[in-house]
Amino acid sequence: MLKYSIKRILLAFLTAFIILTLTFILVKALPPRDVFSPDKNVVFAFYSDQVDLGYFIEFSQANPKYGEPLKVFQPGEVDPNPHYYYVKPIMDQYFTWLGNIVTKWDWGRSTAIKPNASAISIIATRLPTSMSINIVTIFVSVPLGIVLGIIAGLKKNTLTDHAISTIVMVFISIPGFVFISFMLYLLAFKTGWLPTRWPTPDQSLSIKIQAFIIPVLSMAFGSICTYTRYIRAELCEVMSSEYLLLARTKGLTKNQAIVRHALRNAFVPILPMILSEFLGIFGGSMILERLYGIPGIGSLYIESLNQANPDYNVLMVDMAIFTTFGLLAGILLDLSYGFIDPRIRMGAKK
Amino acid sequence: MLEDKDFELLDETPVAGEIVEDKEITNDDFTLTEVDSSVHEQKFQTRPTTFLKDSLKRFSKNKSSVVAAYILGGLLLLSFLVPIFDKSDLSDKNPNSANETYLAPKLFKAGTGFWDGTVKYTDIAVDVSAKPDAKTEEEKQEYWWPSSKSFPQRSAISKKKFTEEKYTNSLSNGDFAKEGFIQFGYLRTDPMNEIVSFATKTIPALSLDDNLYLSVFDTYDVEKIRVIEGKENLGYPDNYEIDDSAFYFTYTEKDADDNEVEKEVKLVDYAKVHNIGSAVASLKQDKVDIGKIIKEQTGKDLFENATFSVRMETKHHAKNVCTLIRAIAFESESTDKTIKKMFEDMSFSDATKALTKKVEDEYEYWSSTGQRLVYLAKAHFCSFVYDTYDAKFGIKEFNNFSILKLLDYEDYGWVSFRDAEGYKTLEYVDGGDNPGFFLKEDTFTCKILNKEKCPLVRELVVSDFYGNDGQGNLQVKASVYQYKYNGYDKAPIYLMGTDKNGKDMLKYVFEGLRTSLILGVVAFLVCFTFGLIWGSVSGYFGGTVDLVMERIVDIIAGIPWFVMMTLIILHFGQGFLTFAIALCAVNWIGPAARTRTQFYRFRGREYVLASRTLGASDARLIYKHILPNGLGTIITGSILMIPSVIFLEANIAYLGLGLRGLSSLGVILSDNQSELFTNPYLLIFPAVVIALVMISFNLFGNGLRDAFNPSLKGEE
Repeated sequence: MLKYSIKRILLAFLTAFIILTLTFILVKALPPRDVFSPDKNVVFAFYSDQVDLGYFIEFSQANPKYGEPLKVFQPGEVDPNPHYYYVKPIMDQYFTWLGNIVTKWDWGRSTAIKPNASAISIIATRLPTSMSINIVTIFVSVPLGIVLGIIAGLKKNTLTDHAISTIVMVFISIPGFVFISFMLYLLAFKTGWLPTRWPTPDQSLSIKIQAFIIPVLSMAFGSICTYTRYIRAELCEVMSSEYLLLARTKGLTKNQAIVRHALRNAFVPILPMILSEFLGIFGGSMILERLYGIPGIGSLYIESLNQANPDYNVLMVDMAIFTTFGLLAGILLDLSYGFIDPRIRMGAKK
Repeated sequence: MLEDKDFELLDETPVAGEIVEDKEITNDDFTLTEVDSSVHEQKFQTRPTTFLKDSLKRFSKNKSSVVAAYILGGLLLLSFLVPIFDKSDLSDKNPNSANETYLAPKLFKAGTGFWDGTVKYTDIAVDVSAKPDAKTEEEKQEYWWPSSKSFPQRSAISKKKFTEEKYTNSLSNGDFAKEGFIQFGYLRTDPMNEIVSFATKTIPALSLDDNLYLSVFDTYDVEKIRVIEGKENLGYPDNYEIDDSAFYFTYTEKDADDNEVEKEVKLVDYAKVHNIGSAVASLKQDKVDIGKIIKEQTGKDLFENATFSVRMETKHHAKNVCTLIRAIAFESESTDKTIKKMFEDMSFSDATKALTKKVEDEYEYWSSTGQRLVYLAKAHFCSFVYDTYDAKFGIKEFNNFSILKLLDYEDYGWVSFRDAEGYKTLEYVDGGDNPGFFLKEDTFTCKILNKEKCPLVRELVVSDFYGNDGQGNLQVKASVYQYKYNGYDKAPIYLMGTDKNGKDMLKYVFEGLRTSLILGVVAFLVCFTFGLIWGSVSGYFGGTVDLVMERIVDIIAGIPWFVMMTLIILHFGQGFLTFAIALCAVNWIGPAARTRTQFYRFRGREYVLASRTLGASDARLIYKHILPNGLGTIITGSILMIPSVIFLEANIAYLGLGLRGLSSLGVILSDNQSELFTNPYLLIFPAVVIALVMISFNLFGNGLRDAFNPSLKGEE
């Protein structure tokens, strides 16, 4: 088990490494964008930092030896001499990038969102918002999903069950943005109960709390539906099993049998899902964050894709986060099956 | 080697006890046991069924899936029929599209209250024009109308309901309001300086002895406003500071070398007045004798040919802070009317005009320009129902109707401008001394010959024309049916309304659905084919091949779909083909994994082994023996890819990387997202269609899978 876990984690890191390498090369192969800032000092600082970090080479004058055109930058009044920069080839940059990550934890510098700030620092300012929404979402969706699932499972093939199953079916099918739009329209705009946009940091606490309702609801519905469906399926299976019949025969009441035997077993596939969802708090829903104006890492992804001045370095780090945590959540899901249910032996040969 | 002859039979005698008789058996040896009872062998009444028929039977028992299949079929049919039969022109070349924007969805007659082409507006600022002899409130209100800029067609407005006057921040230029504030400085996220020059005048001579005054009324920061409105949620900080605000009086004068030099005098310096960081900072200033200040600072009392301008400068160090000023008045006690007028003009003439004139109840139009913004003014509001079809297609009064059009109508034979003798009473004279339109006033006739086609509501009379006939500058007032004017025989009805470009949403949405469905099917076919090949190779050969292929799948599956799609779209553009490729790159793994599982299931079966023993090739085993057995499962499992592709495409459109050149449902939805609050119908219809497609596809796909693989029933 331990050996298998270590193997899986190492494999995941290898996969992540390959994906990030591919992403880096593909992003760098896009037509390069200049740093976007009205402040010349920031642009100059960006260029000199790129030289320090090892992505650019600086020349005192135009040097025609290189095939690629040189970037020319005129710092302005203080330093009237133009500076010439040569952007290193992609693979050169790649190894420099790897080195910088290992030695300086520098994942690249932003070019448009906050010029010359390190991409990691931008992510760090955006992450808490996304995480707070995700954490609240888990605390809403897990109990609700479980309760609904239990109700549907215990009242199998009754009106309640059909109602719950239909609602689950509908909510799983309707795309999230449709759902968010209508909640915004009905709950925020039409009735005025909730704020129509994510509040700014200086707004009052009550508004900040209210602002959680729409994002949390829109994100929770998906997982509520998933939990409900799984619990219902598991419970239906367990309820018709022989050991439950035995439990009833030996004298347990129905409630005792359900709580002590049925539910315990029905939870086996759900717990890993909940666990892996906790890793998912490091992600952010892009569409929700865009529609509600939430400054999280999902909307950061869209901002860094801005058609006019995209910020590919930030985009890459954002992609890296989504990829890495996605992979880790997958591993956690797989491994926790083995921990929770001793009947499942992960990695065992046939 | 041993042969038969090498063996000897040991025991040739029969087994003991067995009777060996050499006897013929004839028919007589048998007797019928059930002679009297009759046995009727019958053929099966039921026909033999095939797997397909059996599956369909199972499918048809699943009611919800059948309903879903019908809905899906209906939508599919509509997506192909609507674009064919709906003749409205979605291209940019449609001449009417500029006129037919934002028509609300209409199915029922106007006045029904639901889906009738009307829009209910609430809280719209009212133009409060006074009726000359109005006594009661009701009589007054008859003359109150919503801003004619936004709602030009008064006949389209019904069920007006007015509210008490109240402070509001939602006024736009051209709205009627009184009191209120002028806002200096945007609400920025970065602190910055704001310099606003709001009056620049050149006058021949100004004497400072004329007693010039500056008054600033009720100047507040935003915090005070919050108290006025009594509402917490204005989005401003609790701690703010206004720093270094000042009024300057600048003037230019000529120096010794005859060059114009700009000079300035600080009139009021608020750095001395206000409290930084206090809760409320009032910048109210009593009358300032600016003549005296200027005199003191410049030592002059007469300016000649000088340009004066007054400028307000505020430095905001905190975020999201602006300065609000209720009124600034410049007064002069000069007897010279030009100077008096100049000073009046330098006062704020918009929000604060009412105050500067000291008339309390007078409403004025807002007209703020440049960086001055209106903040919290008092206005009346009304709610009403606006019939968009009446507004766009109903009778419209043209104050200056095109006379060329009238002459065109005559050419078409719709009207006649000929008098009894057949002479033209309205004509266009080209060239000559006085080119232009000419009207014969004494014999003017206007007959409508074709009532069906002619846009004119009634016949014109001479008094409808105005302008100097002698100069050829003729204008005409005319009431016109707008739908006929736009070239329609009947006013069109848009079931789903029109969008900001005047596009018929009905056609637009179903064209979008068609694009989405085609994209889904193309992606499905490509992914399915590729996944089938990949999965069969991986599953059939197993071993190292499988291991390597599985690791590749692991890596690709590890890339989040939006990362993969973003990279592909950024590299190859946003065309249909790129989208198909990008969607395939994300989706082929499902069918591949399913195929691999099926191969693992069947490749060890005895019949495969038997074929292999008989010398069947790998290709034959794959395509003739294993694949046909697993194909049903693979197809039905993969059919759900179509809705998932539509879903992915819509999502990627929301990331700003949607399909270009073609409208898909996702693109329509994401384009119209900004109008959620103003024109929700633009989102409702495509959203309902996409939700219907997704729900029915999922139900249909699940039903299909259950029918084809009863063993998988209930799994998701």
